[in-house]
Amino acid sequence: MTSTIQAPPVAQGAPSPRAAGGAGRRRSPIARLRPWLLLAPALAVLAVLLLWPLVRVVLFSLQDYGLREIVSGEPNWIGLANYAEVFTDPTLWSVVLPNTFGFAILAVAATVALGTGVAVLMASLGPFWRTVVGSAIMVAWAMPAVTGTYVWVWIFDADRGIFNQTLQALGLQDEPVNWFTNRWSFYAIVLLNVVHHGFPFVAVTVLAGLLGVPKEMLEAAEMDGAGPWRRFFKVIVPNLRQVFSVVIILSTIWDFKVFAQVYLMPGGAGSNREALNLGVWSYVESFGQNRYGFGSAIAVLLTLLLLVITVVYVRTMLKEEEL
Amino acid sequence: MLVVVLLAFTLFPAFWMLSSAFDAQAGAGGQTLLPREWSLENFAYVLTEGGFDVFLRNSALVALVTVFASAVLALLASVAVARFRFRFRTAMLLMILIVQMVPLEALVIPLFVQVRDLQLLNTLLGLMVVYVALSLPFGIWMLRGFVAAVPVELEEAAYIDGASWGRMFRSVLLPLVMPGLVATSVFSFITAWNEFIFAMTLLGGATENYTVAIGLKQFFGEHSNEWGYIMAASTIITVPVMIFFVIVQRRLSSGLVAGAVKG
Repeated sequence: MTSTIQAPPVAQGAPSPRAAGGAGRRRSPIARLRPWLLLAPALAVLAVLLLWPLVRVVLFSLQDYGLREIVSGEPNWIGLANYAEVFTDPTLWSVVLPNTFGFAILAVAATVALGTGVAVLMASLGPFWRTVVGSAIMVAWAMPAVTGTYVWVWIFDADRGIFNQTLQALGLQDEPVNWFTNRWSFYAIVLLNVVHHGFPFVAVTVLAGLLGVPKEMLEAAEMDGAGPWRRFFKVIVPNLRQVFSVVIILSTIWDFKVFAQVYLMPGGAGSNREALNLGVWSYVESFGQNRYGFGSAIAVLLTLLLLVITVVYVRTMLKEEEL
Repeated sequence: MLVVVLLAFTLFPAFWMLSSAFDAQAGAGGQTLLPREWSLENFAYVLTEGGFDVFLRNSALVALVTVFASAVLALLASVAVARFRFRFRTAMLLMILIVQMVPLEALVIPLFVQVRDLQLLNTLLGLMVVYVALSLPFGIWMLRGFVAAVPVELEEAAYIDGASWGRMFRSVLLPLVMPGLVATSVFSFITAWNEFIFAMTLLGGATENYTVAIGLKQFFGEHSNEWGYIMAASTIITVPVMIFFVIVQRRLSSGLVAGAVKG
């Protein structure tokens, strides 16, 4: 992931004709074709399984694509009607967009803040405790999203979950509460789940960056009387500007399209309409209602939003690095 | 103190998963932090009647094929983009970067239709093909950094010694990018092992072909203490991923460090 941040300048391209897989002036046709031969298998797979489907989802979004069309294979073009329906559906404005955007903003802020905090903490620890904390966050990181989600569902289970049980034992509530029916508590659990799973990546990446900040710079800042906060914001943050922009943008991309973490929660698969986000809405309309065209229009909307973020990401990378 | 709070927050879900997995009474109410009665009953049930032996085999097969195929394809492609200058190179890198960001929800609809048209719905092969495609962009993008980090002088030395391009690839480049290949493979293994949305959509009709990620849903609404089964099954799913992380932790972080620090 972070290897995308920077490649050593020495290896950019082909500094010598020999390394370019042939000889400068005596470049044979085979040598010229070599990069394309190496690329061909990967490009074929990407074209058939990623690019063409991407085109196809746009085509589906312009059709009334349901069970009948899937069986007959006959397209039923309806122009922009699916989009008109998406944009006039009150669900989009009152539920889906607030859930998608609100969640992404909170989750990214919490993930990056916690991850950075843990990285700073780890940088200040001795080798033993750094290893202990490092291993613990690896456990959180390695936990698959599906099983992690089931564990959180079990913790907050309405009838027998340990969370309700603890609250009752402490006398904070009389009856067990079903936390999954309320939109706010539903997303609070998703937030806990996603931040718990996502902060280790930020912590490890930022820690790597922190250890790369020259000690002399920090010492010099300290000698000049800069406190810990000042050192953090004036020395570390500028040095890690690129690390931060990468973790923020990647987290944004991930948190915009949380799927399993919502879908697997009670009511998350469409029965609780208050819990829908863009990805889940698209999926349940397609595979629950067999409205593949309508679902595709929602999917295209999600993709366009992510594309905007991706363009920002690509521009950040292009600024720092020659591709 | 801060460390203790952090450790508690970080480790609680994993701890609670294990504790419930070993508690034959899990889900019966009145939970305690440690199992009231230690037992392997939940594991025995999920691995026999629960069908998890089959799901594990399916997942292992799908993940291994995915890792192997995407490693080969990604390595070849990453050499091309890291070592050669050619037309459309930048455009292609951008395309790879962008398709990597496409949400699975957008791809799952057309790929469902495509896999269905190929008569591969409910087969493991259909799932493998999709997983190779999904892990490829990241693999190329990641390996590209590792290939670029191999000093070109080493390759030149091999040419001067009279090695062919293929020979140089095997004896010079391949050993040096091995750590990157391991890290990339771990990522694609984990992707294939954990993937949920495509497994659910493409295998929906064939329980015997379920992967572990969707096999869990078998335990809902079956039995009164289903949570014990779900947590035991979750433990079985999580353990291989954890072992992988531990084995490659150093390589994984050094790979991440190598990338990040140079920035």
